[in-house]
Amino acid sequence: MVRSLLSGLAGIALLAGPVSAADAPPGASSCTGCHAPKKVADSVIPRIAGRKAEDIVTFMREYRSGAWPSSVMGRIAKGFDDRQTEAIAAWFAAQPE
Amino acid sequence: MRSGRRMLLKSALAATFAPAVVSAQGKARVVVIGGGFGGATAARTLKALQPALDVTLVEPNPVYTSCPFSNSVLANLREIDRQQFGYAGIKAAGVTVAQTSATAVDAEAKSVTLADGNKLSYDRLVMTPGIDFNWGAISGYDEAAAQKMPHAWKAGAQTVLLRRQLQAMEDGGLVVMSAPPNPFRCPPGPYERASLIAYWLKIWKPKSKLLLLDAKDAFSKQRLFQNGWAELYPGMIEWVPLSQGGKVTSVDPATLTLTTEFASHKAAVANVIPPQRAGAIAAQAGVADRTGWCPVEPVAFESTLRPNIHVLGDAAIMGGMPKSAFAANAQAKVCAAALVRLLAGDKPQEPILINTCYSLLAADYGISIAGVYRPDKGQLTDIPGAGGTSPLVAVGGLRGQEALYASSWFRTITAETFG
Repeated sequence: MVRSLLSGLAGIALLAGPVSAADAPPGASSCTGCHAPKKVADSVIPRIAGRKAEDIVTFMREYRSGAWPSSVMGRIAKGFDDRQTEAIAAWFAAQPE
Repeated sequence: MRSGRRMLLKSALAATFAPAVVSAQGKARVVVIGGGFGGATAARTLKALQPALDVTLVEPNPVYTSCPFSNSVLANLREIDRQQFGYAGIKAAGVTVAQTSATAVDAEAKSVTLADGNKLSYDRLVMTPGIDFNWGAISGYDEAAAQKMPHAWKAGAQTVLLRRQLQAMEDGGLVVMSAPPNPFRCPPGPYERASLIAYWLKIWKPKSKLLLLDAKDAFSKQRLFQNGWAELYPGMIEWVPLSQGGKVTSVDPATLTLTTEFASHKAAVANVIPPQRAGAIAAQAGVADRTGWCPVEPVAFESTLRPNIHVLGDAAIMGGMPKSAFAANAQAKVCAAALVRLLAGDKPQEPILINTCYSLLAADYGISIAGVYRPDKGQLTDIPGAGGTSPLVAVGGLRGQEALYASSWFRTITAETFG
């Protein structure tokens, strides 16, 4: 489990170059205004750091199409194309949970 | 002696291999003026992204009082201390906090003069001075008048004063609000305030009414607010737009009278939200233009008037992005990442930014507006097809859900900003 997680991280690092916060893909830094980077008490907004990249991408696509009902996420997801969404998802997947 | 030499050798080696940001002329220095949602976030993020930076935050107040959710304090839904945040988390992040105000910026010398007599030199300066009021734009409304007719548009003592006045008012009294022309801090704020005062009046002073005089003919989330008022507070809130005489031109604090181009209104409680401009230090630094606000480029938010000075948050002209705490926090994170690159001699990447603003119409009734922005033709512009407001028809308990999201957002953004 730990090993597969580590190799997953390494894979992302190789694909995206050095994964440092300064190199977060465009849009990613705004997400943490609602999706807390560290655990926050009494928040009903899910955290996305450390979630699987493909899950984040799937949610964003469903929000964008309206297939999955949402409040603000449908409106926000429409601002990102597939490539941008995938980059943001990979970045959050590589952050500590 | 020997160990001393070894240490010297060690530090010489360290210097050789240190990143560009450190080796140029000692540690690169960033000064941040203003410790609100923009400035505190910028300072903390800079240290998190590049611990080698020397970051100083200049903020005179030991405690920050948050404007978001301060309308809930007026409606007795929360106490003012839940709005207050100290700077211990910022200090723990390695930021030097200078608890004093900046009195002058010398863009040529790249230095900031402080009220305590000290001078700070910088490689890059981040200014987040927030807003100041155009005292005198409404005849008779000055700082003394604000003690009788509070603005409560900088949260803190003014918020508590307005709440006390509302609580002391007799049932049946008329609350009169005056909303400013664009641009101003928190575009949906006056309308959330009218909603939550009505929420409170309906419970405690049900014979009272609220008159909202507006210097505009349209406002943020307008249909959602107006539909909500009709549903929740029928007959309680009267909105008077500019074209029907809504613009307040003078006030008399002695008699709590607000005068528009068309009529005079005597209030039991008056809340005057005056016209605004960037915080005073912006004009002194030469980064504010004739509008009173600060033009910036849309990638690193560097002033178009003075080099090496970055302005963000309410004080800056950010194209389509509104003056909100969410926006200031998002801009600060983008600016910090851009500064790390600029100080290392790299080019900042083109950003995308998000804004989300929740407003409450009642304790369990929330609405939202969101937008996604990117640089286009020299300013931040809405990405077409994205963003917008909550639907006019709510299904599945959406309003209650958005009220929960609003309070969750507040907990997250304050934790992210102040640590």
